[in-house]
Amino acid sequence: MNNSSAGSRLTIFCGKGGVGKTSMALAFALWNADQGRPVLVVTSHPLRELAISVSLAGLKEAHPQAAANLYIIHIDAREVLANKVRQIVRSELLIKRVLASPIYKSLIEVAPGLKEIAFLGRLHQLSEERTEDGTETGVPAKYDLLIWDAPATGHFLQTLKVSQSFEMYLSGPFALLGREVAEFFGDVSNFALLPVTLLEEMAVDETIELCQKLASELKMYPTGVVCNMASPLLAASDVDFESLYNQMEQAGEAGENLQFIFDRQQHERSLFQKLRSSITTEFHRIERRPSWTSDLNLLWDLSRQLGGLLKT
Amino acid sequence: MGKTSVAAATALKTALAGHKCLVLTIDPATRLRTALEMDLGGTEQKVPLHDAEENGELWAAIVNIRASLDRAVLREAKPEEAQSILEHPLYQVLITSLAGMQELIAIERIHQAVAEGYHSIFIDTAPSRHALEFLDKPEFFAHLVSFPIVKLVGRTYQWWLRSRLARLSRMTFELYTRVEEILGATLVHQVLDFFSIFRKIAEGYADRAEQTLSMLRDPHTTSFTIVTTPFKARRDAEYFLTELRKRKFSVSAMVVNRIWPRFPATVPPDSHPMLQELLTWYGNVSGAHHRIWNDVSRQFSSQIPKLIPLTELPRDVDGVSALYELVRVMETWHTQGANSSKFSR
Repeated sequence: MNNSSAGSRLTIFCGKGGVGKTSMALAFALWNADQGRPVLVVTSHPLRELAISVSLAGLKEAHPQAAANLYIIHIDAREVLANKVRQIVRSELLIKRVLASPIYKSLIEVAPGLKEIAFLGRLHQLSEERTEDGTETGVPAKYDLLIWDAPATGHFLQTLKVSQSFEMYLSGPFALLGREVAEFFGDVSNFALLPVTLLEEMAVDETIELCQKLASELKMYPTGVVCNMASPLLAASDVDFESLYNQMEQAGEAGENLQFIFDRQQHERSLFQKLRSSITTEFHRIERRPSWTSDLNLLWDLSRQLGGLLKT
Repeated sequence: MGKTSVAAATALKTALAGHKCLVLTIDPATRLRTALEMDLGGTEQKVPLHDAEENGELWAAIVNIRASLDRAVLREAKPEEAQSILEHPLYQVLITSLAGMQELIAIERIHQAVAEGYHSIFIDTAPSRHALEFLDKPEFFAHLVSFPIVKLVGRTYQWWLRSRLARLSRMTFELYTRVEEILGATLVHQVLDFFSIFRKIAEGYADRAEQTLSMLRDPHTTSFTIVTTPFKARRDAEYFLTELRKRKFSVSAMVVNRIWPRFPATVPPDSHPMLQELLTWYGNVSGAHHRIWNDVSRQFSSQIPKLIPLTELPRDVDGVSALYELVRVMETWHTQGANSSKFSR
């Protein structure tokens, strides 16, 4: 997996909001980290947010090898832009004034594609294991794998599209950056795309639409699709499912209640079928866990499932 | 999560009780959209109800960002200006790329809807962090348009640029030059050019957003409902309570949706092991859901006035009949009567 001439392989977990992208990204990172590979995760959540640190509480004690190899950072596009300002403008005083000026602050918000270019540029840098002069802590000197826990579909597509159509707007320092980004994301061997979905109508429709847009607008194709929160019965063959259904029908009184369960199962299966017939790729089923004692245990369990499924 | 379904079902419930209601949604599932006959262009459609109390009406509309913005442009700008905005290369891009644009348009749409005389309006929006951040600064448009160069009118800004730059203070000029250097002249000129024509509309939006936001902050007219699912309930409750309170919005309810019903389902011991496994798995998940509901309702009962559990339906909400079922589920939990002008998020 580690192509030493091209730098770290970038794996991107994308998909609808709420399907479990972050959980999958962390789980995949944990699995690799536990195997002794240093992993850097770029998350779309600001780190100070409770979620991530809570989920990983206790990792060092429970799994020291994984903890030693896992690094998580958040790329703040505004910070990347601010650093660019610091590089270009030499005077300290002027730097402060520019960064504080309403014109700068407003322009970076409304300038289309600017924050996206800044973000992708930094991501690209990281993928080549280049570190910025004197910037963020938390980035290790070497890592085998770079994982991007991407934002939800709309924002994700918008970000990627900028990598191909920035020229309209940029001259100056960002034009060069934009070209590098376009080149990097134009070569599909530089990254692996893994959409994550749930087996529910909206998520499935959005996943299919995402893959269609990736293909038609960006010439990008998923390496696989992760179906999160599947039931254990999803893996059963159609034949087995049929016979179980028949057994249930004969269960008499309990039958009505079982009907509810089976209706959901049937629905899940038909959505999975819809996915498979619309997207040409490998599908990975991750089972929903009924309960867990801690977030860390859940993530650990997910990492065992995911690691076994994704070949690295 | 089911935000759209809960918003639509709550609207239906209120309409059935005899009020004129509107449900606004950003992103409805296809089947629900078809069932409620929602028009993609964003105009409100009446949902036929055969059993509502007198005067009860349910209307539904999608918040169409592009259509709303186009309408605003055509309404506020002079015809030639409107054309140049709609055709400006930045216009298309801005609609999709501007962080918080969806929420700004949603707020604008609420503003419109309130003026249309509904008794209650229910709106669901995207769960993005942008939504909350943007509510903090509707005035960022104002920053942009207050810059001296942009205050000058018209598309002849190149000429103004040359003649007016001399009038800017040295520091402002220096800052502007640096920013141009850093971000690229093309980009800066395009943005300033666009905003010099878009300015009035932007100012209008910012003003109306301020008004609407203060209405949203008034607990007599607006309430927020957190919609979540069992496994995300605790975290969502903590997060939204904190973030909404920080911004002086009041949370009146939390709906924990998609709780799997518990069944005393047993099967004969000689049943297929897969069936046993399925039932055990199901029982564990639904058991966990119920435990979480009990914990969360206990934990937040002092902070959130109404806590409502909704059980999972056998199918996705795909039409009006499913909404009726949700209403039935909601009504098994006794809630207070509908307030006037209730918004739920």
